[in-house]
Amino acid sequence: MHALANPARFLRIARPATIWLLAVGLALALLGISAGLTLTPPDYLQGETVRILYVHVPSAWLGMGGWLGIAAASISQLVWRHPLAAVAGRAVAPAGATFAAICLLTGSIWGRPTWGTWWEWDGRLTSMLILFFLYLGYVALASAERERGGEGRIAAIYGLVGAVNLPIIHYSVLWWRTLHQGQSISVTGGSSIDNAILWPLPLTMIGFSFLFGAAVLMRMRAELAEAKVEARMRRLGA
Amino acid sequence: MNPWPFVAAAYTVAISLTVGLLAWSYISMRSAEAAADSLRRK
Amino acid sequence: MKPKNQRLILVAAALFAVVAAALLAMWGLREQASYFFTPADIAAGKASEGKAMRLGGMVQAHSIQRQGDGLTIRFVVTDGKATTPVVYRGIVPDLFREGSGAVAEGRLQNGTFMADTILAKHDERYMPPELGNLSAEHKAGGTLER
Repeated sequence: MHALANPARFLRIARPATIWLLAVGLALALLGISAGLTLTPPDYLQGETVRILYVHVPSAWLGMGGWLGIAAASISQLVWRHPLAAVAGRAVAPAGATFAAICLLTGSIWGRPTWGTWWEWDGRLTSMLILFFLYLGYVALASAERERGGEGRIAAIYGLVGAVNLPIIHYSVLWWRTLHQGQSISVTGGSSIDNAILWPLPLTMIGFSFLFGAAVLMRMRAELAEAKVEARMRRLGA
Repeated sequence: MNPWPFVAAAYTVAISLTVGLLAWSYISMRSAEAAADSLRRK
Repeated sequence: MKPKNQRLILVAAALFAVVAAALLAMWGLREQASYFFTPADIAAGKASEGKAMRLGGMVQAHSIQRQGDGLTIRFVVTDGKATTPVVYRGIVPDLFREGSGAVAEGRLQNGTFMADTILAKHDERYMPPELGNLSAEHKAGGTLER
């Protein structure tokens, strides 16, 4: 990771990576979405509303994966004082918040025809809503700390403590009786989604993940350029 | 209940928020890098 | 020891402590945080009569009866260990059906659950219609075993 500590070296990799992530991500996401809307059969119980899964599941993963990224950036900030860690944390937060919001909204839209309600305060829904608010708190805290000229250590501690919510979201459907169903896909146990319905899901998962990566890289490049301008202004002002 | 309005609404929300995030990130990156470049040329 | 390693140990220990504390708290809260009661809870006397609560379970096969007015339905909720009869007046969600999960909001009255709202509970299995009809029988259970 320290090979990337030099912003110039980071930018040499990030510039082409942004384009590639954007192009491949858009292609895969569009492919997965059109397959999920037209080629797959409806579910035997839910009918056509099952198609919402192709955008709901990737956004749930990215909403949670985003905070995993913030936690990793926080550790590398606190332990190794990596010069890009705080920048990375601030770049991940808006993308993670966006996908957490997509997850909550598409879940709600799915819940109305399936459960018969837009929202219920069960363990899974509530902990996911808390994740969204944690993102908003992180964005506010990190930008305030940056304006005061801080190193990002307060935001890093907040990012680390907030990571406690991740296992709570994941295990909420196992520990508590919830309205939300249990997990369908696990690393060890395979999938309880039939292959005929499942196959476009990896396309949208990878596609949206690449787009997430592109958004993070673009925000990091924006911040590095802003920092360059600010440093120049300070030198001219001094 | 007709499911298609719900499917359409969910995809509209997901696509428009994703595109919005990408557009905002792209515009902020382009303007910041343009400002940095013009400063270097001066 | 290098300060870098010291900070690593400190951060790891703090992270471990915070996660452990939170997980313990959540584990302790699992009764309160449960979204619904099951018929077994009611049979064990954990739910009090007349108090607003939720009841969750499988709608027992062949138990749905429509009353004369066309709006009131009676059915039985089971969790495999106990059963509770439910009365509800109103429109049920499309996915409410025998052998599927359901959650009822309402109150207990003389051992019968008077529901104000019925929600359908979906399970984690997704399949095309032709497969779903074959396996509809072995569906019951699963989402309730906790």
